[in-house]
Amino acid sequence: MTDLELEGVAKRYDGTAALEGIDLTVRDGEFFTLVGPSGCGKTTTLRTVAGFESPTEGSVRFDGRAMDGVPPEERDVGVVFQSYALFPHMSVAENVGYGLRFRDPPDGQTVDERVRELLELVDLEGMGERDPDQLSGGQRQRVALARALAPAPDLLLLDEPMSALDAQLRESLRRQVKRIQSALAITTVYVTHDQAEALAISDRVAVMNGGRVEQVGRPQAIYREPATRFVAEFVGDNNVFEGTVRAREEDQARIDVGGETLAVSAVPPGADRVTVCVRPGALSRNVGTNRLPVTVETSEFLGETVRVHGRWNGVEIVLQLPGVPEADELTVGFDPDDAHVVATD
Amino acid sequence: MPASDRRGLRNAVVTLRSRLERHALSLAALATAAVLAIMLYLPVGVVFVEAVLEAGRPTLAHFRSVLTDPFYVGALADVFAEPLAVGSHLEGVAGWLGAVSVSATVVRPIPGLELPVPWLALETPGVRLGLFGFTAYQAALSTLASVALGLPAAYVLATYEFRGRRTIRSLTILPFVLPGIMVAVGFYAMFGRGGTLNGLLGLVGLGPYPFIEGNPLAIVIVAHAFYNAPLVARVTVAAWESVDRRAVETARSLGASPRRAFRDVVVPQLFPAVLTGALLTFIFTFMTFPIVLALGGLQLATVEVWIYDRVRQLAYGEAATLAVLETLLSLGLTYAYLRYESAQSGLARSAGTPARRPLVPDLRTALSPRRLAIVAYGLVVLVVFVGPMASLIVGSVTDGSGLTLRHYAFLLERQLEGASYQTLPWIAIRNSLLFGVATLAVAVPMGVVISVVTARAGRAGAIVDALAMLPLAVSGVVFGIGLLRGLVFGIPLPGGWRFQVTGAVAIVAAHAVAAYPFVTRNVSPLLANLDPAMVESARALGASRYRALRDVELPLVASGIVAGAAFAFAISIGEFSSTVILAGGGDTYTMPVAVERYLGRRSGPAIAMGTVLLFVTAASFVVVDRVGGRFER
Amino acid sequence: MDRRTFIGTVGAGTVTGVAGCLTRDGGGNGDGDDGTLRIATYDSMVNTENSAGPWLKEAFEAEHDAEIEWTVPDQGLTQYVRSARENADIDADAYVGVNVDDLVRIDDELGDGELLQELEVDRLDNADRIRDELEMGDPHGRVLPYDTGYICLVYDETLVDEPETLADLTEPAYEDALLAQNAQNSDPGRAFLLWTIDAHGEDGYLDYWGDLEDNGVRVLDGWTESYSGAYMEGERAMVVSYSTDQVYANEYDYEMSRHQVAFPNGQGYANPEGMGILEGATDVDVAYDFFDFVLSSEPQAEIAQRNVQFPAVADDHVDLDSTFDEYAHEPSETVAFDYDALRGSLGGWVDDWAREFVGQ
Repeated sequence: MTDLELEGVAKRYDGTAALEGIDLTVRDGEFFTLVGPSGCGKTTTLRTVAGFESPTEGSVRFDGRAMDGVPPEERDVGVVFQSYALFPHMSVAENVGYGLRFRDPPDGQTVDERVRELLELVDLEGMGERDPDQLSGGQRQRVALARALAPAPDLLLLDEPMSALDAQLRESLRRQVKRIQSALAITTVYVTHDQAEALAISDRVAVMNGGRVEQVGRPQAIYREPATRFVAEFVGDNNVFEGTVRAREEDQARIDVGGETLAVSAVPPGADRVTVCVRPGALSRNVGTNRLPVTVETSEFLGETVRVHGRWNGVEIVLQLPGVPEADELTVGFDPDDAHVVATD
Repeated sequence: MPASDRRGLRNAVVTLRSRLERHALSLAALATAAVLAIMLYLPVGVVFVEAVLEAGRPTLAHFRSVLTDPFYVGALADVFAEPLAVGSHLEGVAGWLGAVSVSATVVRPIPGLELPVPWLALETPGVRLGLFGFTAYQAALSTLASVALGLPAAYVLATYEFRGRRTIRSLTILPFVLPGIMVAVGFYAMFGRGGTLNGLLGLVGLGPYPFIEGNPLAIVIVAHAFYNAPLVARVTVAAWESVDRRAVETARSLGASPRRAFRDVVVPQLFPAVLTGALLTFIFTFMTFPIVLALGGLQLATVEVWIYDRVRQLAYGEAATLAVLETLLSLGLTYAYLRYESAQSGLARSAGTPARRPLVPDLRTALSPRRLAIVAYGLVVLVVFVGPMASLIVGSVTDGSGLTLRHYAFLLERQLEGASYQTLPWIAIRNSLLFGVATLAVAVPMGVVISVVTARAGRAGAIVDALAMLPLAVSGVVFGIGLLRGLVFGIPLPGGWRFQVTGAVAIVAAHAVAAYPFVTRNVSPLLANLDPAMVESARALGASRYRALRDVELPLVASGIVAGAAFAFAISIGEFSSTVILAGGGDTYTMPVAVERYLGRRSGPAIAMGTVLLFVTAASFVVVDRVGGRFER
Repeated sequence: MDRRTFIGTVGAGTVTGVAGCLTRDGGGNGDGDDGTLRIATYDSMVNTENSAGPWLKEAFEAEHDAEIEWTVPDQGLTQYVRSARENADIDADAYVGVNVDDLVRIDDELGDGELLQELEVDRLDNADRIRDELEMGDPHGRVLPYDTGYICLVYDETLVDEPETLADLTEPAYEDALLAQNAQNSDPGRAFLLWTIDAHGEDGYLDYWGDLEDNGVRVLDGWTESYSGAYMEGERAMVVSYSTDQVYANEYDYEMSRHQVAFPNGQGYANPEGMGILEGATDVDVAYDFFDFVLSSEPQAEIAQRNVQFPAVADDHVDLDSTFDEYAHEPSETVAFDYDALRGSLGGWVDDWAREFVGQ
């Protein structure tokens, strides 16, 4: 339905920059997630797309049309907020039907038909006459979703929609959102600070930090090949070692990390100071080319596995082991192929 | 008409409407700005500019002469005269402080009557307060008295259910609309040596007591409380009713006693409202005019009295200087308050109205200390509020020979046989009601627009908001003279033209200007507490800013709007000075103007008209509150 | 707006419709000689019970081929002073109710001899009936008195004895007894102040008022507050008021004992009210006719009895009801400052008095 493009979007408030030149393209029908720590600019980006904020520089385009000066009500977007923002003085059905006061329902439906259809879509059949404050948190969020979708918007914008819900509810609602999005094939921009959620739900993810986009890519790529140390640390657990390239060979390199040497398979060309990233799952006991003696500090039982925090060479290490280690000292190792190396900025 | 044409027409209408709606808010803001520019800034500016002009040249001479005159500023005159002589001023202050003593004592304000009243005795070594100092002093005392008398009323109205509660709540507005002269006459009729109260006390062999003469300052303060305690009560009741019951319940579940829950949960939520009431009371009583001289006498003259006298002598420079100082003081206080208020936003206010308890559930409870205290307070209300009004009504049906209807007969006869150049009662009633409704219709959008503009604007918003309170902070006398010079006489334009604004439309606009701050003050705090995502959701769904306001925000702040609308109506009904000026010789006079015009050497007809004013207003307010109640959730 | 060239409505605000309008100067007062005399006056001439205004209009119109239109400017004559100062229109031809203070204020504000025209007294047959003592002494001869009031003391004979002199009021017998009015605002208040200045001189009156204050005088704002409010509710034993007080007491059946009239020093302060023709008036002839009519016998009696004032003409030219004669008291000697005595002094006297009195 709609491609979304952001080109050089910057936003400054009283001189302090909230966004510093965002370039993004969201493809038609894509589920695209903005993820990052709080204050990284992800919500500001979403609000700029919705038209609640106007960029200081750059432009937002829907299907190539510049949106400069177009107010939110004329952008055909559906927005869902963390706080639900249901209208407390209207019933559930009135909430869902509100957008249909301004746009006709699609496919020649009547307003009532459309409202009923959407309540069914979010599994809230028969709740139309209730007041929002009679609903649970998860139900309210589904009403908010149905309300945003009712006028059949070109673009669905979700701003941390699950943050206020408990973990279990979050997962089931997440699946429901994904199912609905796929069924409608609606271009969706999703904002969250939860990287696991971002990886689980998205077609593509943009990791943001300090008003910039650090990396854009499919979840697997983001996870396996983080482009920066920030992404490596933010997305999933990771062990990171700062070091200096000592020797480059054809398919291997040696990195000096605080006096110890690690062998890795590939380093970014031209980089001298690099960061070596190794996922906890890639570190196994007593195997691999690189051997690291680790001092165990704490262990967390996670069911299938145990997460162990320890220290090697002064660097904090996270391990994922099948059982609780019996000794305070243990040795783990990894092969050069298991390491991902990024240039240190 | 073919279907396609019809659709085309419909589309055109929809487009036009949506285009209008898109700009509705900016248009309303523009219109508000235009009304304020013409009806407020122009007239006030015309007078204020005199403060810095001397024979057409800019000067600070007026300020210098006022600020260095001990008559106006008391002991501060030396400081203004020699601002740099810090050392000697500090010595003066230190010497003075050394001689101050404060003690809590009990005074018996009424000679001959053992009625002990706790009083904070301030022993000061005769520092000269000056006109400004005394004015502030009596305003501070009046504010304390108004809060002290208003809060119990708010407590009773918000927490107890009893027959007539709603009606009493509606009627709390009544003192607000009474012309000053009627209040004075009512107070004499109630508290005078030969008044109702002494008459009643005489029945049980007490008195007569010189309630008024015994302590004129006290009676002026009580009269100020008569006007303003209902204001404090109204504002506080509104806040009390929007205290979230769940918060109280949470506190109770956490182990707080009812008293503790009240102190920790309810009080902090009421405090801003109480402060609003106190602030408005201080500003009003700082600019008090007819009441002080009518009840207290010339010794208790305030700044406004002097402004009036200067204006009467056409000494505009001095009058404007005094008025500017008065206004700066009020606006400064308002700004300080607004900074405080914005720091409080985040206080959740929601509709979880606390359940009201019956006032008199059974005889045993009725005799509990708390119920008895309420009864005692009820007696105070009877004496202070009901007494003067009831005495006024009695005065309208009596003369030297006892009961009579001749004053009402005069009103009837004047209505039936009066000439067009005379003041006819029905026209006054009709105009008052029409102007009241029209004022409400203009002031509510104005107030709401200003609330919307300032609600989320941070510090700049607080400044704009404080400036928006200008109508409350400008001396009534100065506003009146500004209207006369700026609008009635008109502003000369090149080519012999004049820009003039008079008549009914101008009266309504002037009333709306005086009234909209009440709407803003009632609406702004509620609006600031709404989730901004609510408006944004609506807009993303296709609503223009105006529609989002209409569909979402306004219904959610309806209680504030209704409260503001009621005040707007009351301000319009009670307004006197600008009405009189803008009415000119036409038939646009209102009830308070009629009261004034019927005042001659016989006060009966005027008192009868004042009584009509009371009843018409009371009836309207019961209606306003009932109709308004439907919009509240 | 009917008297002005209505041009158009400018700037009708969308929401409120503030109708500003542009008018052309010089459109006012331009009705020409249509036989309508617009007379401005104060409220009680037309609006109170039994006012003289409507009677005058009817009686005059019955005798003359002319029409009278009463108008009541809300700020009284001050409004016209302000209008003249701002060069704004004045919507009247004549003013009924000018006193000598007003003349002084007009000249202070606008320059000598302004606002009202010099009257050609020869054109009035009845002008010489006016009593000499009511002469206001205007060097520009702008007004003729049509009635007068006398300021005196009204007292309750069951509480205090009749004060013989002004000095008595500072005696212990009259402690906390007297109610007066603010001379800044109130006609009787100012008259009483002037009376004390007449008695004690410019240099002595503040001392006298100091004694009065020590003796507990109460100065309220206006006559209504002090009389209808305080005095009628029994607050005090004595009030500065008008010497026609008993006429009302009789009419409304009040106890005469509380409505005794005293003329200390055998005097009362005269407050004659005059009528004059405004500058720019169109129907000057009708105005002269009206003034002559007002000074004739029957209107003099009607004005006196309806407004409860005294006629301006000598006793031979007016016939008053016997009840009126019985209850309206005239002092044997009148005190009054004329124009010359007040000009340049009045403002300062009142200011000094008020500041002295307030002085916290």
